[in-house]
Amino acid sequence: MNHPADSRLAGVLAAGGFAVTAECGPPRGADPAVIRRKGALLAGYVDAVNVTDNQTAIVRLSSIAASAHLAAMGIEPVMQMVTRDRNRIALQSDILGAYSLGIRNILCLSGDHQRFGSQPEALNVFDIDSINLVRTVHDMGAAGKDMSGFALQGAPKMFIGAAANPFADPLDYRVVRLAKKIAAGAAFVQTQCVFNLERFARWMAMARDEGLTEKVHILAGVTPLKSKGMAQYMANQVAGMDVPEDIILRMGSVPKEKAREEGVAICLETIAALRQIDGVHGIHIMAIEWEEVVADIVKAARLWPRPGKAEQAEGRSPED
Amino acid sequence: MRTSSLPKITVFHCANCLDPVRVPMASSACDLKFVALACSSMVKDVFLLRAFEAGADAVVVLVCPEGACRYVEGNLRAKKRVQWVKDLLDEIGMDGRRLALHNLASAEAVPAIVDQTLAVLPQSEPVPA
Amino acid sequence: MIVAERKPVAEIKNSLAPYDKVLILGCGTCVKTCFAGGEDEVAVLASALRLALKQSGQQLRFEELTVERQCEDEFIQEAGPAVGRNAAVLSLACGAGVQALARRFAAVPVLPGVNTTFIGVLEKPGLFTEECAGCGDCQLATFGGICPFTRCAKKLLNGPCGGSRQGRCEVHPDTDCAWHLIIERLNALGQMDRLKTYVPPKSWNRSLAGGPRKLIRKDHVL
Repeated sequence: MNHPADSRLAGVLAAGGFAVTAECGPPRGADPAVIRRKGALLAGYVDAVNVTDNQTAIVRLSSIAASAHLAAMGIEPVMQMVTRDRNRIALQSDILGAYSLGIRNILCLSGDHQRFGSQPEALNVFDIDSINLVRTVHDMGAAGKDMSGFALQGAPKMFIGAAANPFADPLDYRVVRLAKKIAAGAAFVQTQCVFNLERFARWMAMARDEGLTEKVHILAGVTPLKSKGMAQYMANQVAGMDVPEDIILRMGSVPKEKAREEGVAICLETIAALRQIDGVHGIHIMAIEWEEVVADIVKAARLWPRPGKAEQAEGRSPED
Repeated sequence: MRTSSLPKITVFHCANCLDPVRVPMASSACDLKFVALACSSMVKDVFLLRAFEAGADAVVVLVCPEGACRYVEGNLRAKKRVQWVKDLLDEIGMDGRRLALHNLASAEAVPAIVDQTLAVLPQSEPVPA
Repeated sequence: MIVAERKPVAEIKNSLAPYDKVLILGCGTCVKTCFAGGEDEVAVLASALRLALKQSGQQLRFEELTVERQCEDEFIQEAGPAVGRNAAVLSLACGAGVQALARRFAAVPVLPGVNTTFIGVLEKPGLFTEECAGCGDCQLATFGGICPFTRCAKKLLNGPCGGSRQGRCEVHPDTDCAWHLIIERLNALGQMDRLKTYVPPKSWNRSLAGGPRKLIRKDHVL
């Protein structure tokens, strides 16, 4: 596995620690103050922060710029990159640009189809797919060449991630696809948020059987629910999401004022269960428009403080 | 140019479900023109449109009861085509209600269908001459 | 075949506004097969336009004619006299046919009457589906005979994406996930190993992205 020296996230994982990442959605506007505010809420509670790339095909401040703003604050970004909007030329260019700005982690995705976004009339690109992108970033770093074979003046050595969805169909093939991503160069994966622990555990078992957990760091996604409505929306409207009925019922069984508390409780139980699963090397907290709760979750899950540089180097976690 | 001021209704009908001779004395409230077809599925979209071009205020398509088409699915095809033309009439602003399909059990039912058809007309824009 | 659909009548009507005599020219090949522009459709459109125009009081005379194909000069020529009699031509052929007509009858405005959409097949009566994007570099053997460039909304070569749900594409519940179909097909063919093989980025330079294409058959050029 490839652990670039100057990626903090890679450092935590290489030392055998349990990593924590969260997410930051850039604003629909040119004002970076939103990014700084979100960054400040997450700083110190996570090892790195994912910055989304025009998520749901809605124009937002670019992932590369938002990542650079976070890096400038001393917060380590995981720059998400989708293949929906840019061709291979632009993608490679942005990888070089990102690295030059101090960005060291990249998550390679295909991206939501623009049909769902605010400008469905736009032309999509999809010149290459997410696995091609993983390979591209890998080869640029490892071989120091771009896709045309040109030797780069400065190779971008990124810590490369991909997304994995244990809840999409067909189940068996999902592990084949995970293997493909690892073979292409993915060093870590972040999964779709876990509510169905049983299904997730099955997927992990298959991954272990294939020896994949030795080759990639799996960070399980978690999302604290805010309401029964949110649970239902995710269950019915979001592709590739599995929210079991009993979770929805549980969210509906408490009074509205207590819903968020219940959502956090479910999240903490999920995290505790995930830590017991062999091969899970961390969690990725997606607290959509609720970044304030990340600190509470990380603390309550006894994952705070995060390992500092010294602890990372010695392979210790602050709990030791 | 109209020779009479009575509404004109063109009735396309399957020869198997109707012999116009058997229609009880129709009301004198309209001009009826019957066009027989070997099967109602022989009705083509262009015939329906040309009937309107020829001056019809309304067009009726009479087909055999469902399940009773001697060619099995002819009346189903006619139904689909009539809906297609109704949508086209709406699209060009002519009001698709001027065109209707009815499953016909016997000739006795025709006057009621004619009355139903006439009832729709005043609500529709007049067909330009 | 090439599939097209008649433009909304209102749009056609507006485009005909400057003219008093229009030839509606149909095509007897692809657009006839998908019920958009053959002889029957010419007749229906002419009738519908006459009815529509009566209401707005516009004076417009239509001539109706259909030729075998509008993508070959040999057949387009036959429409010459009819074109000469009219102020404009409303072509119900695909975009290629409209352009071929416009090239030959450059002095007469040629207007499109249909929207050309895709290369497809008749999957069952009344259902035409898009199958081929004309990428110029066919790789159907790799994918069990199902094209991911055309049928996967994200053109994935190493699919499926995370949005595939119960065999359906995230883009629309009526759309099959092409990758689900590919996996099923490769399974049936005993070729599941193909799925483990990394498929590198597609070369687009033989597709439209590389510029409009030509085919020259020297054996046919005198």
